[in-house]
Amino acid sequence: MSLASYGKPASPAVVAVDALGPFAGVAVLVLLMHFVIGPAVGPYYAKILVDIAISIVLAVSLNVVNGFTGQFSIGHAAFMAVGGYTAAAITYFGTVKIWGGLPLVHADPQGWGLFVVGTVAGALVAGLFGLFVGLPSLRLRGDYLALVTLGFGEIVRVLLMQTGSIPDPKVIAEAPLYTLPLKLGGSLGFGGVPTYTNLFWAWLWAGLTLVIVYRLKASTHGRAFLSVREDEIAAEAMGIPTTSVKVRAFVLSAALAGIAGALFAHELGTTLNPKELGFQKSFEVVIMVVLGGMGSLSGAVLAAAVLTVLPEVLREFSEYRMIVYALILILVMLVRPQGLFGIHEVWELPVVRRLLGGRGPK
Amino acid sequence: MGLLDVQGVGIAFGGLKAVQDFRLDLPKGALQGLIGPNGAGKTTLFNLLTGVYPPDTGTVKLGDRVLNGLKPHQIAQAGLARTFQNIRLFGDLTVLDNVKIACWSRGWTTTLDALLRTPRFRAEENAITTRSMELLQIFELDKRADESARFLPYGGQRRLEMARALALDPKVLLLDEPAAGMNPQEKVALRNLIRDVRDRFGLTVLLIEHDMGLVMEICERITVLDHGVVIASGTPIEIQKNPAVIEAYLGASPVADASPGAH
Ligand SMILES: Nc1ncnc2c1ncn2[C@@H]1O[C@H](COP(=O)(O)OP(=O)(O)OP(=O)(O)O)[C@@H](O)[C@H]1O
Ligand SMILES: [Mg+2]
Repeated sequence: MSLASYGKPASPAVVAVDALGPFAGVAVLVLLMHFVIGPAVGPYYAKILVDIAISIVLAVSLNVVNGFTGQFSIGHAAFMAVGGYTAAAITYFGTVKIWGGLPLVHADPQGWGLFVVGTVAGALVAGLFGLFVGLPSLRLRGDYLALVTLGFGEIVRVLLMQTGSIPDPKVIAEAPLYTLPLKLGGSLGFGGVPTYTNLFWAWLWAGLTLVIVYRLKASTHGRAFLSVREDEIAAEAMGIPTTSVKVRAFVLSAALAGIAGALFAHELGTTLNPKELGFQKSFEVVIMVVLGGMGSLSGAVLAAAVLTVLPEVLREFSEYRMIVYALILILVMLVRPQGLFGIHEVWELPVVRRLLGGRGPK
Repeated sequence: MGLLDVQGVGIAFGGLKAVQDFRLDLPKGALQGLIGPNGAGKTTLFNLLTGVYPPDTGTVKLGDRVLNGLKPHQIAQAGLARTFQNIRLFGDLTVLDNVKIACWSRGWTTTLDALLRTPRFRAEENAITTRSMELLQIFELDKRADESARFLPYGGQRRLEMARALALDPKVLLLDEPAAGMNPQEKVALRNLIRDVRDRFGLTVLLIEHDMGLVMEICERITVLDHGVVIASGTPIEIQKNPAVIEAYLGASPVADASPGAH
């Protein structure tokens, strides 16, 4: 793709369109989802579309670590939990502190600013946790990361279970801020989080995640990520600081998972609950990445959509879902270990290229 | 003092002294050969120079800079580039991307530039692509720039390893058996290529090669390793006549296949 533009100086208009076009695309998608598709399909399908968007953020973000740098993280739900609880604490306690009284159960435009702040804070805190987990474990070779992320996931879950129940609004209003993070609802979950997440926010973040991660993949920095996955020794020999590249990928991935967590926490019909964000959830995300292709964003999007819709379509299926997922994982590993599309995007596959009438296979 | 100054470098794996007290003083622009029977320690020496293994003894200096203790990527950035005996390309990535990756450390943009696709980012991307294509042209790989590296024929993969190493803009180039697996025509082309590249980029080259014809023809000086020890050093003619070298080659079992770690 880079070859097509090679050597030709681009006009300012082309530069601007190239830089801003995808953001405009995201804006169009978001508005379409919110004002056209949402009302047309009704609340049931709208919720599925929101779920798909959240899954996309999760799958694409895990792809940065598992797909791009070839490390194996299996604790993604923990970063989702960190982001989700951070964001929920900000919107819930924030609402009480700022406006007094309980947050409205339904979305209130007054709180949107708080929701954005919560989401961004969720991303930052999750990213910080990513740094703490990644820094020591990514220095080590081999499967340490898998073990450490697995352990981290359990620790987060257990710690969240140990938190106290949500205090009454009156208590919240008077409590000093630093005491509140210890009162996140425990094993019952964080109830009553305002339901800000809708098609607009979910697809906005999904779109931004896609643009960010795709652009990363297509840049020098992303190529450095990929080189680590391809051959660490060769990458070092080519001047790539592999440890720092891995840590960066891990932090970015954790931060994006934090965004997914924030969206999940504020979704209608979900409870922010330690049980929901345990190993099972992490495993689901791993399946999405493995199925779609290690390193393929379009593959991750496709897998995220399919694996979100499937349990809805096949009600009985959701009972056996983990068994089926495990089977899928084994099957893919045996038949096509690089996943459906491998490292490539759908449109880069020879078959698709031929269909599109572009440059044929070489 | 030369450009690459190696003083008393050695390493042992368990009881095996793979390289002992290695000394070499490479002046700028030199094209030096490093030969020896299988398992002599040649690749291990490259691994010591490039920081894959920290040496047990001795110092490595590039110009005024001591390389001991640096990470491999720091040594690469300092100007010591290498190819691998058992090819280590980024197989799933395109031929062009393989070369572009080596340009990363010379880049000047931040991740934010890439995410926003700023004009700075475009300029860098263009510069990297242009330079990488130039290198691919030199190695006659430009026509296959957007194929996956793993689909290149063997000789092409060896040439891509060299092109990628050159993208680092190195001072010293370490070539580990670049002719291995090449056919006779490719070897002739490689001969000229190594010399051309040395002259064109003002490189200093240290070449490991089993093909004696190639080594004797293009190297100005040759060092011979056997069992981790330098047994001879001199011009090709001196080496060919050296009894210790003849002994080492005749005495070595012809199929002593080493099973090395990080080649
Ligand atoms: N990581 C390692 N651990 C243990 N032994 C090693 C390691 N790397 C190399 N060796 C041993 O060191 C000795 C030198 O190996 P090296 O690969 O440097 O030889 P070489 O001269 O490159 O041989 P060849 O011509 O076959 O490539 C061999 O006996 C090899 O088995
Ligand atoms: Mg060797």
